[in-house]
Amino acid sequence: MRVVFLGLLVFAGVRAAEPPAFIAIRNARVVTVAGPVIERGAVVVQNGFITDVGASVSVPPGAWLVEGEGLTVYPGLIDALSTWGLIEGAVLASPTGGRAATPAPAPSPSLPSGPPSRGPEDRPATTSWLKAADQVQIADRRLEQARNAGFTTAVSFPHRGIIAGHGAALSLAGETAGQMVMSPDAGLYLTLSTSGQFGSFPGSLMGSIAYIRQVWLDAAHYRQAKDLYARNTPGLVRPNYDRALEGVLDARRILLPATSRVEIERMIRFAAELHTPAVLYGLHQGYRSAEVLKTAGLPVIVSAKWPVKARDADPEEEETLRTLETRDKAQSTPAALAGAGVKFAFSSDGLESPREFVRAVKKSIDAGLKPEDAIRALTLSAAEIYGIAQRIGSIEKGKVANLTIIAGDLFDDRSQVRMLFIDGRKYLPTPETPAPPGGVPPSGRLSGGSTGEVRQ
Amino acid sequence: MRTVLSFLASLPLLAGANDSFLLRNATICPVSGPKVEGASLLVLDGKIADIGPKIAVPKDRKGLKVIEGKGLSVYPGMIDSGAEAGLSEISSVRETSDIGELGRFNPQLRPLIAVNPESEHIPVIRANGITSVALLPGIGASGGTMSLIGGQISLIHLDGWTWEEMEIRRMGAMYLRYPTIGARPRGFGPSAARIGFAEAKRARDTQAQDLKEFFEQARRYQLARRQNVAGQTVDLKFEAMIPLLEGKVPLVVLAEQEREIKEAIGLAEREKVRLILAGVKRPGATVETIAKKKIPVILGTTLELPEQDDDPYDAPFTFPGDLVKAGVKIAFASFANQFARNLPYEAAQAVAFGMPYEEGLRSVTLNPAEIWGISDQVGSIEKGKLADLMVTDGDPLEIRTQVKMLFVKGAAVDLESKHTRLYKKYSARPD
Repeated sequence: MRVVFLGLLVFAGVRAAEPPAFIAIRNARVVTVAGPVIERGAVVVQNGFITDVGASVSVPPGAWLVEGEGLTVYPGLIDALSTWGLIEGAVLASPTGGRAATPAPAPSPSLPSGPPSRGPEDRPATTSWLKAADQVQIADRRLEQARNAGFTTAVSFPHRGIIAGHGAALSLAGETAGQMVMSPDAGLYLTLSTSGQFGSFPGSLMGSIAYIRQVWLDAAHYRQAKDLYARNTPGLVRPNYDRALEGVLDARRILLPATSRVEIERMIRFAAELHTPAVLYGLHQGYRSAEVLKTAGLPVIVSAKWPVKARDADPEEEETLRTLETRDKAQSTPAALAGAGVKFAFSSDGLESPREFVRAVKKSIDAGLKPEDAIRALTLSAAEIYGIAQRIGSIEKGKVANLTIIAGDLFDDRSQVRMLFIDGRKYLPTPETPAPPGGVPPSGRLSGGSTGEVRQ
Repeated sequence: MRTVLSFLASLPLLAGANDSFLLRNATICPVSGPKVEGASLLVLDGKIADIGPKIAVPKDRKGLKVIEGKGLSVYPGMIDSGAEAGLSEISSVRETSDIGELGRFNPQLRPLIAVNPESEHIPVIRANGITSVALLPGIGASGGTMSLIGGQISLIHLDGWTWEEMEIRRMGAMYLRYPTIGARPRGFGPSAARIGFAEAKRARDTQAQDLKEFFEQARRYQLARRQNVAGQTVDLKFEAMIPLLEGKVPLVVLAEQEREIKEAIGLAEREKVRLILAGVKRPGATVETIAKKKIPVILGTTLELPEQDDDPYDAPFTFPGDLVKAGVKIAFASFANQFARNLPYEAAQAVAFGMPYEEGLRSVTLNPAEIWGISDQVGSIEKGKLADLMVTDGDPLEIRTQVKMLFVKGAAVDLESKHTRLYKKYSARPD
């Protein structure tokens, strides 16, 4: 046994970059999400894909075996609205700059700079041409933390400005930034913020909404003009290239913010008006609006950053009932959505650590959400919302081997992430050490060599 | 020449006639006492000479103007306990605004001398029966809003050729805005930045410390002046603090919330000055102390929305009555310019929501006169007081009531204002 183990280490040292052809996790509890939980079963992974799953599957000879006694295998967890993998500052929007098409200014910590915008024509707070897929930073230390917490995928978005940019579904590990990108066109992220600059359009909510509406109208016209011009009709004036509108035309779906009931209803109407598939995010008062959302048929992404009292709040400040109620009931939103049959996923929304994200989701279970619904929201529902469910989100034959293996139950605070598979590669959680701020952490990827496995 | 002579001869008579009259058969509401029906009121040389069921024209006053008061009611003119009447004409035109000064400590500022007697706002305010105001320095728009000691409070009649003629009291009080902890979101919307509580509290504590030190410096100056220390230079700021420190004038402290009110009471005790609280909105548990220490309270507008989302809809309406029930002496202030004309309705709203009617009337007449220490001159209809009067066709707290006549120091004041001029002009507009 000891000899075998040593041999394994040698093997691991030589073949670090190459995962074994077959991996089999056996005698584990398998939460497939796509079907019923297999209390004692196996998952076989080959060349990065799940090739077999079930209570009694034949393990191919030569496969690496993971003894799953006491372990639970989940589909890799997905943060449905994230910034993991993107470094703040690299994704900043410029305050104006749609038509000018000048090179993007150097990243600065705050958005507003340059002349104030006078109207929609200046394309304020717009960077619809930005793609998260182009901004991936493999050095982001949150990637490692996310893996340690059991996440294999994040859909990350540029998030500054009114029309912030295109998100990408990212595998949370890879040798290169390009390898991490699963899907570069997850959707276009919109906020209803103001221009953020004094004396600059838009300075109000109605201004922001009017601006987005105008951009959509402009984009529709732009598409027509380009189509006509492309047909080589003689005498047609060449339409001006507008990167802001190009970005809008590329959007497969849009993400719109909504917290309160009135905002949710407003965004449902707005999404219909824009004729673009939409996903609402935020939803802390969604416990009031589950039926409305069900009727509208829009999927939503619930922020797991539950409202809390500001740490530096005035101790004598009287909080409104509405604030207190939202703080009390926000966590019950997922249960209400599940009850009404609304498709929803969870967003880490800037929570300090990915581990906190899982704990935050646990709070919604405490507030009435069924654990299986919570797991679905963290896996298959998120994949469905972004149209990538044919590849990830559940443990099914043919899907990408994104697996989270946990000793115990995901939502048990004492349980530990033992192992992850991301795109079929195995990762082990790294010991908890506070990473130096801003420093580049060592890669968390460890191929081969560990306890609990023998070569057959 | 002859005409000049005869004109000169008639002068004393004219002057006398101008601020003396006899009003008969009216309902007199003196505020200081019960209402008297069908009574007469004699005003001689600007002062109330007599009130009674039947008064004859004095023998030495042949030709005295006699006014028939049937169906009319006489009330003391109302007093707005905090306004900027005459200090600002158009708030956005800098040249017409003289309401405050930059800098944190300006006790030497005296708003009386900045009053423009020709302000278009004054007749508008008067038209509703307001005859006096306490002039506040440094409230409202530009200038002085961030000051702590904004200046002195002057008390004026709302009529006169010059500010000297309008004066009731040049220095009625010292005005202090107590520093607050401004830990509120800046801006609006989701991107509104928040100043942390700790940071805001530090800023407030610094200001409170500066205020304490200013009082200490003023005390040292007062001592030096009293002892005629050689070489002591005159400093107008500290000079102006002396009447306050000697207890001759009260300190008015603008303090809305419990925290500031508590500290203001502490300050007044430490400095041994007489305290008047102004702008009180959420006194919390301090109400008991305010009542026990008999600290007068000047309230801002009643006609507003509740402070907090979860307050009852009528919280601003019932609050003045609650204070009165707790035993606090209150007066109303507009803390505004032309909107001072709504003063009677501030009280009226409170009366409609539980304040006893008599207290409502007092809160705009006798109470402010007593709070400002001018009740020997104005605030009620009593023998010997100045004849600042409004004659109405009914209850002045009722919005349909019209002020029919107004007297300041016995002289009838024209009730025409820019509003009435425009009304007449556009009523007569050709089709």
